[in-house]
Amino acid sequence: MNDKIILKINNLHMNFGALEVLKGINLDVYEGEVISIIGGSGSGKSTLLRCINGLERKNKGDIIFEGKAVKRDYTKLRERIGMVFQHFYLFPHRKIIDNISLGPRVVKHTSKEEAKLQARKLLEKVGLEDKENVYPAMISGGQKQRVAIARALAMNPDIMLFDEPTSALDPELVGEVLQVIQQLAKEGMTMLIVTHEMGFAKEVSDRVIFLSEGQIAEMGTPEEIFENPQNENLKRFIQSIY
Amino acid sequence: MTIFIESIMAFFEVAIKFAPKFLPAVALTLQLSFLSILLGTVFGLFVMLLKLTRLKVLEKITDVYISIVRGTPLLLQLYFIFYGLPMLGLEFDSFTSAVIGLAFHSGAYISEIFRGAINGVHYGQEEAGKAIGMNRLQIFYYITLPQAVKQAIPALGNQFIIAVKDSSLASVITITETMLIARQFVAATYNPFPILFVAGCYYYLIISLLSFGLRDIERRLKVNER
Ligand SMILES: Nc1ncnc2c1ncn2[C@@H]1O[C@H](COP(=O)(O)OP(=O)(O)OP(=O)(O)O)[C@@H](O)[C@H]1O
Ligand SMILES: [Mg+2]
Repeated sequence: MNDKIILKINNLHMNFGALEVLKGINLDVYEGEVISIIGGSGSGKSTLLRCINGLERKNKGDIIFEGKAVKRDYTKLRERIGMVFQHFYLFPHRKIIDNISLGPRVVKHTSKEEAKLQARKLLEKVGLEDKENVYPAMISGGQKQRVAIARALAMNPDIMLFDEPTSALDPELVGEVLQVIQQLAKEGMTMLIVTHEMGFAKEVSDRVIFLSEGQIAEMGTPEEIFENPQNENLKRFIQSIY
Repeated sequence: MTIFIESIMAFFEVAIKFAPKFLPAVALTLQLSFLSILLGTVFGLFVMLLKLTRLKVLEKITDVYISIVRGTPLLLQLYFIFYGLPMLGLEFDSFTSAVIGLAFHSGAYISEIFRGAINGVHYGQEEAGKAIGMNRLQIFYYITLPQAVKQAIPALGNQFIIAVKDSSLASVITITETMLIARQFVAATYNPFPILFVAGCYYYLIISLLSFGLRDIERRLKVNER
């Protein structure tokens, strides 16, 4: 982590019809930083992540990436910001290796050979080099999520967004996915992670954000958030978990 | 007893005698079917693409087209193209008229099949494509379309089978395909049963082969399933 701000979220507002989900979020994300986002169900954690890469359209405020506010078109930004979904969303009609190489080939026009080579390296990194030629339906949830991470990494993103990457997994498969994310943290990847795995959040995060009532109700180091919470909702939230 | 056997022998004698005489007509049925399926699919895809543009004008046009095809009999549509359009200065020979009519007709249903299949692709697929920086066209071509085509195959297969049978209506605009030649043979021999039997066998054979091919395609497309 260094002191370069790579992403700035400025007064972000977002509503679904009459429902105000985000009511003015402000956040500076530093390069190499790992931020965990916690909060109750429906507090807007997913919406916040999805507004960052434009899967959800903000109503007000700015997303500023490397000093430049994002205009209407998010496609360029999405090349730089990877996202991993709770339910993986692998491409079922493509082999594992092609799931990973499709982005570079189509979006970056990387050559077939180069994209495959890179995909193989990524498969090795997530420990799935033996799965290159099978289809997503033939691997476990934990393996799918690791492929999904590799698919996002294939674009060489500067930031990775994770939306509850282990919530859809059987307990015994959670560890293998968290391990991969931890490895990325060690390598200095900037990450925003929505998670219900508090132990993991404590361990991996530089900062933890607690979302409540559409705002960042509290923000701090894992120690501050988990051992010495100030906000009443946060106290209740932490009690409800342990 | 002998009378029964004799009449069966007579039946097959006529059937076997007439079977080869059907071949030119069956060839026409095959051509009509093939072209109406091929052009109907191309046309259906095109109409679906127009719809996907989400431009109001194009959407309206395709809606009108689909509702007309669905709301009127194919028989009437063929009459209209063959007898009606020449009055507007658009004249085609009977084969072209039939191909246009059949393709125009199945195209409407095929476009609806594609549209349904595309709507059936999980929204997460589009989001996953967006998340790696793909634009709308790339997502459509590399992610949505292949999955939709696979989804659509069973319904498309049905539509193709219907197209084969519908080609028999081309007989009303003077095309000597299988049904028309059957009627001509019946009129000449006053012996409808064996002749209609032969016609039925040809249709059954064509459709069986088509079904077989479709099942094979379905099976191949299943490699990515458990
Ligand atoms: N597409 C949508 N249309 C309407 N309302 C939505 C939509 N998506 C989310 N919401 C609502 O917005 C609020 C925030 O949703 P969001 O998914 O961001 O919550 P979350 O913090 O991620 O919750 P969870 O922990 O359950 O995933 C919820 O009240 C939800 O019902
Ligand atoms: Mg969520």
